[in-house]
Amino acid sequence: MRSLLNKLSVIILFVFIPTATSILASDEVPSKKQDHPIALIGATIHPVNGDVIENGTILFENGKIKEIGVNVILPSGTESIDISGKHIYPGLINADTRLGLMEIGSVPGSRDDFELGAMNPNVKAEVALNPDSELLSVVRAHGITVANSFPRGGIISGKSAAIMLDGWTSEDMTLKAPVAMHMNWPSMTLNKAWWNKTSEEDQIKARKEALEKIDQFFDDAKAYMTAKAVSGKNGLPNQKVDLRLEAMIPVLKGDLPLWIAASEIRQIQAAIDWAESKGVKTVIYGGADSWRLAKELKKMNIPVVINSVLHVPSRAWEGYDTGYSLPNKLYQEGVKFCIGYSTFAGEQHNVRYNAAMAVAHGLPVEEGIKSITIYAAEIMGIDDRVGSLEVGKDATLIVTDGNPLEITTSVSMEFIEGRIIDLDNKHKRLYRKYTEKYRQKGLLK
Amino acid sequence: MRSSFFACSNPVSIAVILLLILFSGIFEITKAQISPPLGLRQNRVGVYALTNAKIVTSPGKIIRKGSLVIRNGIIESVGAKINIPKDATIFDMSGMTLYPGLIESYSNIGFPKPEKDKKSEGKNGGAKHWNENVTPELMSSELYTADSKKLKEYRKLGFTTALSAPREGIFKGQSALLNLGDGENAENILINSVNQHVTFSKKKDVGGYPTSLMGSISLIRQTFYDVQWYKKAMSAYSKKPSLGKPDENESLASLIGVIDGKRGVMFEAYDELMVLRINKIVKEFKLKSLILASGNEFKRLSAVKKTGIPLILPLNFPEPPDVKSPEKALDVTLERLKEWDLAPSNPAMLNSAGVKIALTTNGLEKLEDFPKQLRRAISRGLSKEAALAALTTHPAEFFGVSDILGTLKKGKIANIVVTDGDLFSKDGVVKDVWIDGKRYTVEKDPESEPKGKWAGTIKFGERETKEFSLELKESDKKLSGSATVSGKELKLMSAEKNGYRIAFSFLTDSVGIDGITMMTGKVKNDIMNGVGVAPGSPIVIWNLTRENEEEEDSDEEEKFAAATAQITYPLGGFGRPSLPKRQKTIFVKNATIWTSGSQGILENADMLIKNGKISKVGRNLKAPKNALIIDGTGKHVTPGLIDEHSHTAMERGVNEGGQAVTSEVRIGDVLTGDDIGLYRELAGGLTMSQELHGSANPIGGQAAVIKIRYGSLPEDLIYSKAAPTIKFALGENVKQSNWKPSVLRYPRTRLGVEQIYRDEFRAGLDYKAALKSKGGLPVRKDLELDAIVDIMDGKMFVHCHSYRQDEILMLMRVAEDFGFRIQTFTHILEGYKVADEMKKHGASASTFTDWWTYKFEVYDAIPYNGALMHDVGIVTSFNSDSDELARRMNLEAAKAVAYGGVSEEEALKFVTINPAIQLRIDKWTGSLEAGKDGDFVVWSGSPLSTLTIAEQTWIDGAKWFDIEEDAKLRVVVMKEREKLIQKILSLNPGKKEKKDAEKDKKNHSNKIEEEI
Repeated sequence: MRSLLNKLSVIILFVFIPTATSILASDEVPSKKQDHPIALIGATIHPVNGDVIENGTILFENGKIKEIGVNVILPSGTESIDISGKHIYPGLINADTRLGLMEIGSVPGSRDDFELGAMNPNVKAEVALNPDSELLSVVRAHGITVANSFPRGGIISGKSAAIMLDGWTSEDMTLKAPVAMHMNWPSMTLNKAWWNKTSEEDQIKARKEALEKIDQFFDDAKAYMTAKAVSGKNGLPNQKVDLRLEAMIPVLKGDLPLWIAASEIRQIQAAIDWAESKGVKTVIYGGADSWRLAKELKKMNIPVVINSVLHVPSRAWEGYDTGYSLPNKLYQEGVKFCIGYSTFAGEQHNVRYNAAMAVAHGLPVEEGIKSITIYAAEIMGIDDRVGSLEVGKDATLIVTDGNPLEITTSVSMEFIEGRIIDLDNKHKRLYRKYTEKYRQKGLLK
Repeated sequence: MRSSFFACSNPVSIAVILLLILFSGIFEITKAQISPPLGLRQNRVGVYALTNAKIVTSPGKIIRKGSLVIRNGIIESVGAKINIPKDATIFDMSGMTLYPGLIESYSNIGFPKPEKDKKSEGKNGGAKHWNENVTPELMSSELYTADSKKLKEYRKLGFTTALSAPREGIFKGQSALLNLGDGENAENILINSVNQHVTFSKKKDVGGYPTSLMGSISLIRQTFYDVQWYKKAMSAYSKKPSLGKPDENESLASLIGVIDGKRGVMFEAYDELMVLRINKIVKEFKLKSLILASGNEFKRLSAVKKTGIPLILPLNFPEPPDVKSPEKALDVTLERLKEWDLAPSNPAMLNSAGVKIALTTNGLEKLEDFPKQLRRAISRGLSKEAALAALTTHPAEFFGVSDILGTLKKGKIANIVVTDGDLFSKDGVVKDVWIDGKRYTVEKDPESEPKGKWAGTIKFGERETKEFSLELKESDKKLSGSATVSGKELKLMSAEKNGYRIAFSFLTDSVGIDGITMMTGKVKNDIMNGVGVAPGSPIVIWNLTRENEEEEDSDEEEKFAAATAQITYPLGGFGRPSLPKRQKTIFVKNATIWTSGSQGILENADMLIKNGKISKVGRNLKAPKNALIIDGTGKHVTPGLIDEHSHTAMERGVNEGGQAVTSEVRIGDVLTGDDIGLYRELAGGLTMSQELHGSANPIGGQAAVIKIRYGSLPEDLIYSKAAPTIKFALGENVKQSNWKPSVLRYPRTRLGVEQIYRDEFRAGLDYKAALKSKGGLPVRKDLELDAIVDIMDGKMFVHCHSYRQDEILMLMRVAEDFGFRIQTFTHILEGYKVADEMKKHGASASTFTDWWTYKFEVYDAIPYNGALMHDVGIVTSFNSDSDELARRMNLEAAKAVAYGGVSEEEALKFVTINPAIQLRIDKWTGSLEAGKDGDFVVWSGSPLSTLTIAEQTWIDGAKWFDIEEDAKLRVVVMKEREKLIQKILSLNPGKKEKKDAEKDKKNHSNKIEEEI
């Protein structure tokens, strides 16, 4: 493929080089389905939803956890691996990524995260995941085993997929799809920065139009759902399929949660008021100001997916730690939350240190771990499979040499559905390659 | 108060005065004319005596009862007992006060607003400056077109003279000083070129250079240098024509008077820090200057005062911020709340500080708000005397017309304001202004004023007398209102007045008179009466008397409430009344000290700091008496963290994107200590950063190395020991690959980028040679090439934004060819691929830790980059390039341990001593070693642990962040906000809509007046 592309590129250099996604491929080989029982022995096990087990054993078979405990009897044929001194955690989850949908931010050809138009509820992340994305193996090497991947464009962006960061095909990788419908709430405040050229009037107008568009779309979807339910019955005509409106039915029925991107207080207020009026199952995504509405969110049972703990406060007079202390404030108020981290700079793995910063600023350390494991799984609706170490759940777990919230902690082993994961990645390959360069030159031993 | 002031109130003199007003355009006796007469010559008498007036001859000088004689536009005499010439027309001014005519110190009178759809690339042609924003040659006196409506509005406020300048541009052109009379331009222009006007903002809709504040500053500086050169070059040529003639340049020529100090420059400052930036330019070119200020100068009073530059102050005090809901209140910063509270005190504060001030209506949304805003300033302690000076003598002095304007003195131009009452009090009314000895009536004869509320009786024919009242309003010269008959309100169907006469009509069905009743009557003082015709009632008789309006607005008093906000540095959140002070002796006891120096990491160690410098670090040191003890038990102490790549503390543009080479621009020109980002960085242990130009250009601007002294003046941020540095950039940003530029700019490939460098350095060599050569025309000083020469001479050091290995090699080769060395490659995500070559070259590297894939050129970025370059032997640091990341550089350092196994001690150096070496400040900072600056951080645990937080951050032995103080400051912020929000909410917002112009005049009680 590469050589073919090189040949092509000679001819149409300008067209292809910047947009070709097919050269963006990772070399790590997915491992085969778990075909024999495996036991990890001697580690400190952090089930997340239960007490820590010192010197414990975890046994898994056919991709599922069979037993966790201190005195686990291993069936014959079990491959037991002694990992004394190490720690076992559930595989970490990042609820906010574009993994598989975006390779290089500035290269449109490598991006499938923005569909044209305002309303795209029908588009599905799982159909465009690139299993050979170099980002996948980098992120999973940090212990992130499962990610929520979703498009971002327009008002309704489309549907997300929970993906396991390993597999030959997008179908292999998909753990659950759809996870949620994703929506961007219009900005409810005015941008008054000196550099902003859009007049306040135009901003107000744009907001009004967007809000009207949202209402109109939901009304259309509701009418469509009603007509569809009786379509062709009792002599009524057949309602033709409208892909967009069709895709809204599970949202209207409350089967598919709607993640509404809203950070500023009025945005969140408007979003939850609106969602309540439409009877939609809602998750607030972003949520920088969500702590200001914690009691309301708690009462309405609306969870928050914090998209960044590491953000600068939006208001100059707020405490420097406004972002850092957000998770703890939600925790104290009993609001369900998880922490995700999606950046343009390929740092999805740094979701760990978002949780860490929350812990440094008051969140109990166990809660910090939960915010990137079981809480994320619950909000994504995949807690029956992943997010904690429990018998019957997927053997999706990591082995570390310490607290995964520390940067200096490394992941030494990783399993997804009981399959051992190759922790190599592009970064390590290039590191080895150039270490070799300097060895050859005598600059390194 | 409504006493007539016409001594000669006979019909003849009234007619004369009417004539004066009606024909003032041709009524010209004071000046010699060169135009031939139209028909017969007119030789009217121009001698007037204004007698029995209170005369304020100049600020603070009052004649209780005196007279003033005008002859042919000039004040002939003024005094308590002067002889009234026999040929004078006498006006008895009993009860009136005369003031010197007010001078408007800045306006755009006579300049139409620029056309909206005008788009331009910003280039000039002809013998003018190349940049469309530089038009110093424009003369207001030529461009001015009289706007009689506007003139009237100004006169109404008591203004008789105004400075008028062009509206837009950087060098906008030259202002004229005008009398605000209705005559020809020629007779009103007093001075046709007063000041050159310089702003820092481009014309709207004009593209191209400059795109940033630092670009504007550079363009201004370069232009002044160009004028100096132009003058010299022209003079050299005139002496020796064989040198060849320098290109004619009308723009530069027009500025020669300015650099010679013959003419002043009025700079426009959009905030208080601009005053300080302007001062740098003023001192550099020894300019005579004035500043049209922003009104926020109170924020930096002593620094502004120190400049010694007179200020022209606006009165457009901020409206109360919208805090009507808790959510809206969140949007309002503490700074804005405080500005609202304090800004009306600005004139008083500057005046008491001894700054010479003038006042202007410029910036007011409505000109008619001027008196009220002025009263607000006065209520905050600006004396009336000072206010008058700021509107008369000071501007006269600023514009060099003290000999003809500013006071009522013999020999000066007869520009006079006549008021009924105190000009600066609410019930003072401007009656007339005299301009050039010509009278302009402002206030109509109050005798026939129908507006207001009237009450009395009405009698329809033979019916019984009924209660009758009338309320009349006027807008756009149209009367409207309602009548009430026997308690029934009847809307007026029509109403008009003509002199003393008034007519109106209303439908009277509801009071038992079917049809429309028409009235006609006469208004005289407080009496209005007349007759009417009603259907079926042949004669209607009505009598009304004026009702006093006592329900005057109390909201104004509240708006005038005293300022309560505290001035802090900065004014906004987490500012302090005074900046942290250096502790004489500090002793850190029993801490784990990461020295980043030869002592490595010391456990249970102590550190002594004296007078801001580290004195000793070691175990079992003795704490001197009186030392401030920091108990470090369980704590870790590190050097203050240093960020090689920051854009935090700069204003209005990180990039000057207008050109591919902008080595003339300087970040040091646009720093601010008020950026809250600085405080947040302190809270993360950062004490120093290099403030870099962005990466828009192959050769960007000059950088500034700062200490993170939040709330300091810009000049106090700068670390002057640091060698000059400059930003270069390579790759996708400089070739503008990832967006659609409106105009394509060379270069578009890395091939072109290399050529830009070679071209520029070649030009630098030529420039250097020219500077050395003798004979020939003088060489034009070129700020851009000065920097290029400094780079080649090893006086200025390059920090280059870079990613790919090929471009890293390219730039090193270019540098080598021109005999210099790249100091630091910044970002340098592929540095690991050519670390050996970098080492040979002698470059250091400052990289992102783990950012990648945001652009094609960073697809090979690896987090091992730092460790690998370090292992090969390159001085390596981690940088932030982000206000967010800069708050946690210690954690970035931990990534050198995680990726590549650098030891913890060495890893911390990536954010301490290594960036110090790169910035060439390692002699003084970057490690905890004797003799170095007392910059250190006390951490709750290991600096490389994500669970650690910074507890104290010290710079030069002064504590700039303390987590306990932070908790207190939060309370201060909350309380201040609450207090000011309460104050705004209590303003009674319902009243705001009610304020209409006439209300001000009718107010009889003015408690403010009594208070001051």
